[in-house]
Amino acid sequence: MISGDAAAASVFVRVSQEDAFDVFTREIDAWWKTGPKFRVAGKRRGRLFFEGGLGGRLFETFEVASGTRTFEVGKVTAWDPPRRMELEWRISNFAPDEKTTVEVTFEAMGEGTMVTVRHRGWASLRKGHPARHGLEGAAFARSIGMWWGELMTSLREHVAER
Amino acid sequence: MSELDRTLFALSDPTRRGVVDLLRRKPRRAGELAEALAMSPPAMSRHLRVLRQSGLVEEDHEGDDARVRTYRLRQRPFRALRRWVEDVEAFWASELDAFREHAERTRGKR
Repeated sequence: MISGDAAAASVFVRVSQEDAFDVFTREIDAWWKTGPKFRVAGKRRGRLFFEGGLGGRLFETFEVASGTRTFEVGKVTAWDPPRRMELEWRISNFAPDEKTTVEVTFEAMGEGTMVTVRHRGWASLRKGHPARHGLEGAAFARSIGMWWGELMTSLREHVAER
Repeated sequence: MSELDRTLFALSDPTRRGVVDLLRRKPRRAGELAEALAMSPPAMSRHLRVLRQSGLVEEDHEGDDARVRTYRLRQRPFRALRRWVEDVEAFWASELDAFREHAERTRGKR
């Protein structure tokens, strides 16, 4: 229906393509930002784990009064080190069958690597998804880019044409 | 509800996103929209009402004939939306910055 690119962001890193891929995945807990805007754990202590390989999971664990809670962000759906990987991306208010997709590419370039994240797939979520309703500020900020990565480019083009 | 809430709500439905996508190219009549999206005229008119109330579209009379109405996109809600997308991208940009700092500190060749 609506075609186009997703919400995207890139960064140039002065490390090799292999290192970039390795750090992005295996060391995700060391660099992923902390706090309620970035992790389900919020202000509690928690860890992020990335299991490499097709079908591996990205998940977060954190401590609550009753023990350790696990939140699975999604499973790896494409694994092509050190160039590319793709995984499902669920936010905490998604139903179990709802997910978006995050694709990360690593391009060797000169003295380093260009890393690009493309986040898409919002259109597949159910009608009336509570993307905003009933969510507080921090949770909403984390649920950024809900259903419509694809719509975004379309809209951006639309605005640019004016 | 804020303007952004109304915009998000209006766009939470695939049919209404389809309408926006069609109107992005040019203004169209309600009948054309219903046909293009395989909807009954009454169902389409309900969707158009939501889109109108959200301010995403406006109706216009075509020529002198007051019975023929066309729909077109309005720019304003899209600006709020665009700021929101920029927030989405800012989230990833912020994570990627953290990634770069960590990667260059631990693996960078100096």
